[in-house]
Amino acid sequence: MESVIIQSLKKGELTMEEFNVISDIFSQAITGELIGMSNFASLAETIDDPHEKMEAVEHANSERMHAEGFLAYARKKNLKINVNMNGEYWGNVRKQFLKYAHNRDFTACLIIQEVMLESFAISMYNDVGHALGGEAGDLFISIGNEEKEHLEHSSDLLCAELKKDPAAFESKFEEIHFNCMSILAEFSATTDLRGHCGVCNGDCMKGSLHHVGLDIVTLRGNAMAIYEEALDNIGISGEKSIIWMARLPA
Amino acid sequence: MDGTTPSIDFAAIGHQDSWQNISAFVNSIRNTGQGKLSCEKIKDIFGFISPKEIFRIKARSKTGTEINGVYIETFIDPDKLHSQFVRANINKVLAAASRAKRLGSKMVTLGGFTSIVLEGELESLSTRETKFTTGNTLTAAFIVKGIEKAAERLGISLHQSDILIIGATGDIGMACANYMKSRANKLLLCARNYQRLEKMAGQLVKEKIKIDFSVRLEDLLPQAKIIIAVASSMDIKLNHCNKNVLICDAGYPKNLENNIIYKKDVHLFHGGMGQVSGGYDFSPDYSRSIYHYEAPHLVHGCILEAMVLAFEKRFESFSSSKGNITTDKMEEIYRLSMKHGIGLAPLYNSKGLW
Ligand SMILES: NC(=O)c1ccc[n+]([C@@H]2O[C@H](COP(=O)([O-])OP(=O)(O)OC[C@H]3O[C@@H](n4cnc5c(N)ncnc54)[C@H](OP(=O)(O)O)[C@@H]3O)[C@@H](O)[C@H]2O)c1
Repeated sequence: MESVIIQSLKKGELTMEEFNVISDIFSQAITGELIGMSNFASLAETIDDPHEKMEAVEHANSERMHAEGFLAYARKKNLKINVNMNGEYWGNVRKQFLKYAHNRDFTACLIIQEVMLESFAISMYNDVGHALGGEAGDLFISIGNEEKEHLEHSSDLLCAELKKDPAAFESKFEEIHFNCMSILAEFSATTDLRGHCGVCNGDCMKGSLHHVGLDIVTLRGNAMAIYEEALDNIGISGEKSIIWMARLPA
Repeated sequence: MDGTTPSIDFAAIGHQDSWQNISAFVNSIRNTGQGKLSCEKIKDIFGFISPKEIFRIKARSKTGTEINGVYIETFIDPDKLHSQFVRANINKVLAAASRAKRLGSKMVTLGGFTSIVLEGELESLSTRETKFTTGNTLTAAFIVKGIEKAAERLGISLHQSDILIIGATGDIGMACANYMKSRANKLLLCARNYQRLEKMAGQLVKEKIKIDFSVRLEDLLPQAKIIIAVASSMDIKLNHCNKNVLICDAGYPKNLENNIIYKKDVHLFHGGMGQVSGGYDFSPDYSRSIYHYEAPHLVHGCILEAMVLAFEKRFESFSSSKGNITTDKMEEIYRLSMKHGIGLAPLYNSKGLW
């Protein structure tokens, strides 16, 4: 059954609040995908192995296609899209990524892009998809499913990395967790802990999510749960991950 | 598990019943410069966390044997211990059980509420490598031994006392009733489901045991000289208790003391607890934030049951399905626990040691 939002979208009957929050959700998704695309493109530059280089470019292209998909829908529905890759949170995540990419640290890049950012994307796309329903919902859910494959694939690679030298791997992961997950934790806290994200059109959309049947506590909780599950699959012990989680900003 | 990981003799699966304890734990892990998280912020995330091992335990028997254990937290939201959240809670307990298996635990106990959500049906969880127990047999043993010790101390004769069991049709309640039926003057049985109470009462009457039963606590309270509270409920109110009544509060969440109307002349202790004379250590050592007892090395009976079985290398589902705890089994596990220096905890309540 089509959700109320989609029926209203079709008939052009969205309330201003619904229109604004859906526009902001799409703006965040498009910005996130473009960050992913740029991250993989930067990563490709640092790789010598031709096969791995091609794989990184392929990944960048897949993120581009996701951004295209969201943009096409937004255009069709005349949503108000604001893309900003240099805002407080997205910009800082990108900076973190570039720092590791410049050091040619492929593992670190994989952790940031494929574990941290993808965990958030998978979970939030799923929650948003179910809340919106209809064509928009399907779009979020199908893109979310593709991101899931990325996460599973990289978890296997990282699990193998951990087995080579558990102590060194965990210490690297811990450093990246605090450098990067802290930004995502601040971004997804009930209030933006570092101010406006530079993507939402007006005030922070978190206060308006209830207009489309969402709330930031559940979105954040589910996203953190997927991230934790990924840590678990990679082989990070519970004793470690609980400390990492408890030390995040909230 | 790789070859370098020490084998896990026992795992304890548990849950928290107070936000105060959770806050203290979470904030104790945070770095000093980070500032404390408010309880509200912790509530926003706690229930989303998936079950995981939080710390390792090394316990010592008085025989010199050492065992390795692990505590697995279910992250069940303390505000969601009611039946309306049963599906989500079962999933958490099952996830914790898989985690225990994956860690290579030989013996697993389902502490407190975590066995209740599975209705005590643990048979299907056990595998060749990992055995599950509710730990209710040793818990029940510590409850009744605690009553005997406290009664002796207060000069109360069991034979002349009517003993009220709140939660009588439960696994622990039934075990206590079986133990006490030949030792008390009369058993007073209370639970909410009348049919189950009636069935249990019918059985005891056949054995010529003096009993009274009711779904209304007020009907039984005036007769009770001794009360064993083993119902997991927040709504139990003890109005009009007898003077000098002896109460063993062994249920969770623990709040019976706040619900006693006449506090004067009430002798209440927290039952079902034991003490490990050989001691134990946690790694990481969270004892400062999670250990709140006035005496050292106290542990819940349900966890101790797994420890005793691990000391004995008896990896078996000692307490597995509901209603099967016999007095013989209670005596057996109690005897084994004493062999390893695990005795009854000193009598205490929220105000401290008796
Ligand atoms: N100290 C320890 O180490 C330890 C260890 C394990 C368990 N426990 C605690 O011991 C308690 C009992 O465990 P269990 O495994 O025996 O649980 P159980 O099998 O579920 O039994 C609970 C009993 O309480 C009754 N009950 C529930 N709410 C009641 C109410 N408001 N008034 C009267 N009776 C009520 C139930 O019957 P109706 O549903 O018909 O009311 C049933 O008879 C739990 O609180 C558990 O957390 C303590």
